[in-house]
Amino acid sequence: MRNHKMMFVPILMSFIAVLFFAANLQAGEVYKLALSLAITGPTSDAGNPYAKGVEDYFRFVNDTKMLGDDRIECTIRDDQYKTDVTKRNFEDFLDQGIVLYLNYSTGSTMGLKRDFEEEKIAVIPASFHAGNLVDSNYIFLPIASYSEQTIGLAEYVANNHKGDKPKVALFVHPSAFGRGPVEDVEKAAKAGLNIEVVEVVEHGQDLDNTAMLKRLKSKGVQYVISQTVQSPVATMLKDAARLGYTAKTFGEAGKITFMGAHYTGGNDLIALAGAAAENFFWTTSYKLTSEKSAGADAQLALAARYGRDEKAANSHNYTNGIMVAQVATEVIKRVKKQGLKVNRKTLYDELNQMNGAKAFQPDTTVGPVTYSKTDHAGVDTLQLYRVDGGVFRSVGTPFLCEYIKKI
Amino acid sequence: MTYFFQLVLSGVVVGSIYALSALGFVLIYKSSRVLNIAHGQLIATGAFIAYALTVWVGIPIYLSFFISMVLTFFLTMSVERIFLRRLIGEPIISVIMVTIGLMSILDGLIYLTPFGSENFSFPRFLPKEPISMAGVSISWTQLVGVIITFAMIGAFSWFFKKSTVGISMRAVSDDQLASMSIGISVPRVFGLAWATAGLSAAAAGGIIGNITGLNFDTLHAFGITVFPVVILGGLDSILGAVVAGIIMGLIQQFASGYLDGNWGLNGTGTVLPYIILLIILLFKPHGLFGIHEIERV
Repeated sequence: MRNHKMMFVPILMSFIAVLFFAANLQAGEVYKLALSLAITGPTSDAGNPYAKGVEDYFRFVNDTKMLGDDRIECTIRDDQYKTDVTKRNFEDFLDQGIVLYLNYSTGSTMGLKRDFEEEKIAVIPASFHAGNLVDSNYIFLPIASYSEQTIGLAEYVANNHKGDKPKVALFVHPSAFGRGPVEDVEKAAKAGLNIEVVEVVEHGQDLDNTAMLKRLKSKGVQYVISQTVQSPVATMLKDAARLGYTAKTFGEAGKITFMGAHYTGGNDLIALAGAAAENFFWTTSYKLTSEKSAGADAQLALAARYGRDEKAANSHNYTNGIMVAQVATEVIKRVKKQGLKVNRKTLYDELNQMNGAKAFQPDTTVGPVTYSKTDHAGVDTLQLYRVDGGVFRSVGTPFLCEYIKKI
Repeated sequence: MTYFFQLVLSGVVVGSIYALSALGFVLIYKSSRVLNIAHGQLIATGAFIAYALTVWVGIPIYLSFFISMVLTFFLTMSVERIFLRRLIGEPIISVIMVTIGLMSILDGLIYLTPFGSENFSFPRFLPKEPISMAGVSISWTQLVGVIITFAMIGAFSWFFKKSTVGISMRAVSDDQLASMSIGISVPRVFGLAWATAGLSAAAAGGIIGNITGLNFDTLHAFGITVFPVVILGGLDSILGAVVAGIIMGLIQQFASGYLDGNWGLNGTGTVLPYIILLIILLFKPHGLFGIHEIERV
């Protein structure tokens, strides 16, 4: 009797083990991805909705079995915008066996560039700094670089300004993030772009921009193109409105038309600047929920499905997060479809082939995502938006920055 | 000349807001010789409470500002009671380290709220059109900010010079043991110093929040931005904070107005105040109005 009992235990354990392995076989593969970003700390107003976008889309992929029985497991960690924490997170993620990495800030992307090369892992950051792509093979920008966005705005000025050569000032963040496009815009002007860069303003924690605005006005500046975050732009717009400097229409004579790249705009700018944000011109490659489109509908449905509030659901940085998750999912799908093993190398190779007939249309952007060995900027197309009645509305159709190829 | 006067006006506006922000540092240092590193977080907290009361609770904005000042008054009094009172008599560096911890705790708590990662702006409650005279203009928000600043600074100056409590606070600052020997409650004075600093921080938060919008990074950064003002004025002088604040405001505006954009210069409005601070401190190490203590051994 005692022997029977002793026999029963190993048989039961073997049975459980068989069940466990069978269940695992049934469950399919788990692809580990990771994202380190500022959910709290500086720039968390962008990082927080971005993280929600990534999280929700991967949940959606798993819940709807978009990859069959395979699942995506994306660890999201807060680094509070500190590069040393990002590096520690990245090293942890490598130990977990990630096959693709989503990064965030310009500083950490530049700082970890060598690590990405050594680890041979494809990285999609939230930073669109053109410098990320210099001496790098593994970084893929989701959309057009800050340089491309800023030159794109300058091109719009050159093409639509009436009168003599338009005078432009650049209003930038005093960091690599802000300074990145300055040289490129100046190069574009030298290469024949019909604008005059009168001054480059590096802003601080300014409570009053009167001196700066009066100085620009006295120099005849007609357009201010910003490459920074929303808060300093909002203060500048409020001061400009008080001084009566804000153009009511694009290029209004005797006034200043204010414009900005991706991280200067969106609903956060309207929340900060209020009515002073009216007639601010902004460019990004993302579609907005303020305008009807398949992408916007899908985004709002996704946010509703996972109980996100209205603010997050309508944030362009929520779109930003969804879009990078879409690209990651698509590339995994394509590798799987070819019957290849999903690993760092196959994902990297597949990303580089995302062009021509294989370009990806995520619907959340105004153009297709295209990557190749020589082009690691995803969506090249830009859309101009303008604040009209407290909402960003499209101005014209999506366009491509021409001068980026000439500099 | 209009340009010059506009820069002067803007400098005075910015400077007086710096002075109000710096006041909290001075009030605490004046009575306890402690530098509160978490002051920027208190500025942000005051602004967020006022916004929450106005927009989420529906209280009229003027009343919200007043209530936020009262709430921050009691909040900082509680902070002193819970965290700092037991450190009386301990080395000052320990107390400063506690304020660094306090900064992290307040950061963490604010990050748990929508204010940690979202931007807001106060509803408009003042006329949109600026006040203009002979080509020089000031917004209503700025004007009200300046009036509140000078009213508060005047009230605090009177309080420290004329009221019994204020005089006892100065006495504690001078010599804690001697103050205790004549019956002054040192813990009560410390609590009051923190509470009044909280009150001034909430006022500063309300004004800055109205100018810049409510962004946590921007608001708490003012705790650091006004540090040169506090040092230049002399850590324990209210008058010093006012004078240094206005000097800093004027330097920033003149640098931005006359230097930036010329001779390849840029961002001098941010850097020049620190350069001038260093030069002045070379000659007046205790700041413009700081007390130079002489100890006889």
